[in-house]
Amino acid sequence: MNRTVGDRLGNSEPAITAIAKLFPFHNLPFATCMEGYIVSLIIFTAIFALFGLGLNLQWGYTGLINFGHVAFMAVGGYVTVLLSDLDVPIPLLIWIPFCVLVGSLFAALLGLLIGLSTVRLREDYLAIVTIGVSEMVRLVALNEEWLTRGAFGVQGFPLPLQGFAPTLLTRIGMLAIFTGVIAIGYWQLWKWLRQRIKGVSRQSLINSSLAVAGYLGSLGLLLYGTVIIARQLKLAEDLSPWLLGLFLLGALVGIIALYTWLAQQTIPRLPDWFVGLSLVSCLLSLAVGLWIYQFAAHAIYTYSRTSIKTGLMFISVLVVAVIFWGLQKLVRSPWGRVLKAIREDEEVAKALGKNVFWYKLQALMLGGLVAGVAGALYAWQLTTVYPDNFQPLVTFNAWTIVVLGGAGNNVGTLLGAAIFWAYQTSTRFILADVVPLDDARLGAFRVMIIGLLLMVLMVWRPQGILGKKEELTLGR
Amino acid sequence: MVDNANALLSAKNLYKSFGGIKAVDNASIEVPQGSITGLIGPNGAGKTTLFNLLSSFIRPDSGEVIFDGEPIQQLQPHQIAQQGMVRTFQVARVLSRLSVMENMLLATQHQSGENFWNVWLRPGQVIKEERSQREYASEILESVGLSHMAQEYAGALSGGQRKLLEIARALMVRPKLILLDEPAAGVNPTLINKICEHIVQWNREGLSFLVIEHNMDVIMSLCDRVWVLAEGRNLASGTPAEMQKNTQVLEAYLGQ
Ligand SMILES: Nc1ncnc2c1ncn2[C@@H]1O[C@H](COP(=O)(O)OP(=O)(O)O)[C@@H](O)[C@H]1O
Ligand SMILES: [Mg+2]
Repeated sequence: MNRTVGDRLGNSEPAITAIAKLFPFHNLPFATCMEGYIVSLIIFTAIFALFGLGLNLQWGYTGLINFGHVAFMAVGGYVTVLLSDLDVPIPLLIWIPFCVLVGSLFAALLGLLIGLSTVRLREDYLAIVTIGVSEMVRLVALNEEWLTRGAFGVQGFPLPLQGFAPTLLTRIGMLAIFTGVIAIGYWQLWKWLRQRIKGVSRQSLINSSLAVAGYLGSLGLLLYGTVIIARQLKLAEDLSPWLLGLFLLGALVGIIALYTWLAQQTIPRLPDWFVGLSLVSCLLSLAVGLWIYQFAAHAIYTYSRTSIKTGLMFISVLVVAVIFWGLQKLVRSPWGRVLKAIREDEEVAKALGKNVFWYKLQALMLGGLVAGVAGALYAWQLTTVYPDNFQPLVTFNAWTIVVLGGAGNNVGTLLGAAIFWAYQTSTRFILADVVPLDDARLGAFRVMIIGLLLMVLMVWRPQGILGKKEELTLGR
Repeated sequence: MVDNANALLSAKNLYKSFGGIKAVDNASIEVPQGSITGLIGPNGAGKTTLFNLLSSFIRPDSGEVIFDGEPIQQLQPHQIAQQGMVRTFQVARVLSRLSVMENMLLATQHQSGENFWNVWLRPGQVIKEERSQREYASEILESVGLSHMAQEYAGALSGGQRKLLEIARALMVRPKLILLDEPAAGVNPTLINKICEHIVQWNREGLSFLVIEHNMDVIMSLCDRVWVLAEGRNLASGTPAEMQKNTQVLEAYLGQ
């Protein structure tokens, strides 16, 4: 029963077990759950990347304030699964994509309705109406039991690739496609990095990279050490929760103060520190990405009739890749330029012959459509859909993701989604082991920390991780 | 005095009040084809409001506007721009977080790339159009001396440069008529001369202008004909020299 990940991955055994030992926090057997865990992490990241991309089109590019983004997800999800649950003499392989199409078109329709009723009004009305609409959608889902089965939730609907048992050749093909998508991603990352590094002397690059690596590495070790100590203290149970909390807080504040001071000391002496940071983060993301990739690849390679989640992961990653590509084409086109112009000053766009109203509707509808697709994937991942899955907090998550990565930057949104879910997953284990709070309070605590981190980000880098600093200082 | 067969733009009896203030009170104006027409008047006379009415940014309470032989007061602002009449703003408005070049390219009309299906389905055509527009924009930027700023954010431009960009951008629309709201305000004298030279040059190429301006030197050097507005009403119209001697006009300015 207690297999290790090494058993499952055969050849890479020593590395994997070594990594497994780095995580002493699991109460679950590390081996069996890790792969499933990673697969579902990838699915959630993909879903929220899509969800964030929709919001980024509306807010980041067009400047439309949408505080009810979850409504699009709810409509997309509910329509897809309710429709796909009908008895029709059509093979699921065709029927399910059709249902997703209809579901996302309904989400786009919701965007059209919201737009028609508000876009002519002042901007803040849109924010208010979207909050209202999202709560309305949730309440309708809760109360119209004949349609949505209310609080009992919808379940038992068909899932994509259900009962799909690919041959070895098909699995290798799937693996090749999956790997291709990842490789293209890394290729783009490399091109970006090369642009950064260009013109920086080798010596300076090495110095700054080593400095950044040392900085981040020691910071990581310190935090890790704090966590280990706190965990031992919590397990020993001879410290009152108050004292433990105080110890944690003190340690955290101390570390932050120390490292802020260190950064202030070193940055002026390292002219190329940002290039070094870029290089180190790219290497780091390469390492983490490859580590995650091997789980995903193994999951696809051993795909069988029962591994529904693996299929969903495969589909989600492909869908994100395709939609991301389509949106990148759009925002870099004359069409995207009109959206940005509306964000900057819609009177100017009007004076230059652009039908501002129509473009706002398009942004709302297209963003809603993308969120609707995310809703379908979300429903499949949850397998039971409750109205409670579409709380306003989900909208907050989308905003976190977009703001984190940098508004008006689709790559930033992908990064934001990855960071957000890395945070969600890691804190679920680490905080539970360390912080003296019960489960419900812990959930609230995790959201609080996100708020705190966002505040720190707003002070340190208000444009988001990948946003452009110059854009902040420009006058109207 | 209105109703000229070769008028490019003619507005009759426009009326607009904000609450109790009659901002534009039965004003009329006419811009002959191929002319540079001036619009002057003391502060608060209603000149900018008249521009807003002409370009449909504000709906008139009554009156009509005819542009190029068609009534346009029912059109949306963007439709009026598409018909070939572009307005600029009294305080230059540039799209700060877009580059100067993007500001220019935005103004192009009938781009297939502004329809998202075309972006996906006919990328070749979109790129081709974009390339030729980029060339045209570079020419204009070159001629107004902004080409060195083409890739900078428009928000990084100085006040005078913003005015220049706004006029250059209006040109990208390839309009028949440009409405300029105080093009020389807040611009240094050298740049004012340059702007005037460009306006005359473009006018020779067939473009008509309606210019609001307080700087009388600019009005004298540019305009064939001037309309004077005071308290929302037509006060007089004639050549710039006539207006400078007109006692009513002088009183309106001195009464300020
Ligand atoms: N949107 C508005 N709301 C209320 N009053 C306005 C508005 N726009 C202009 N006005 C008023 O109309 C009058 C004319 O203003 P304006 O057209 O800007 O004059 P000018 O451009 O000739 O200096 C002023 O008294 C101004 O206060
Ligand atoms: Mg004015």
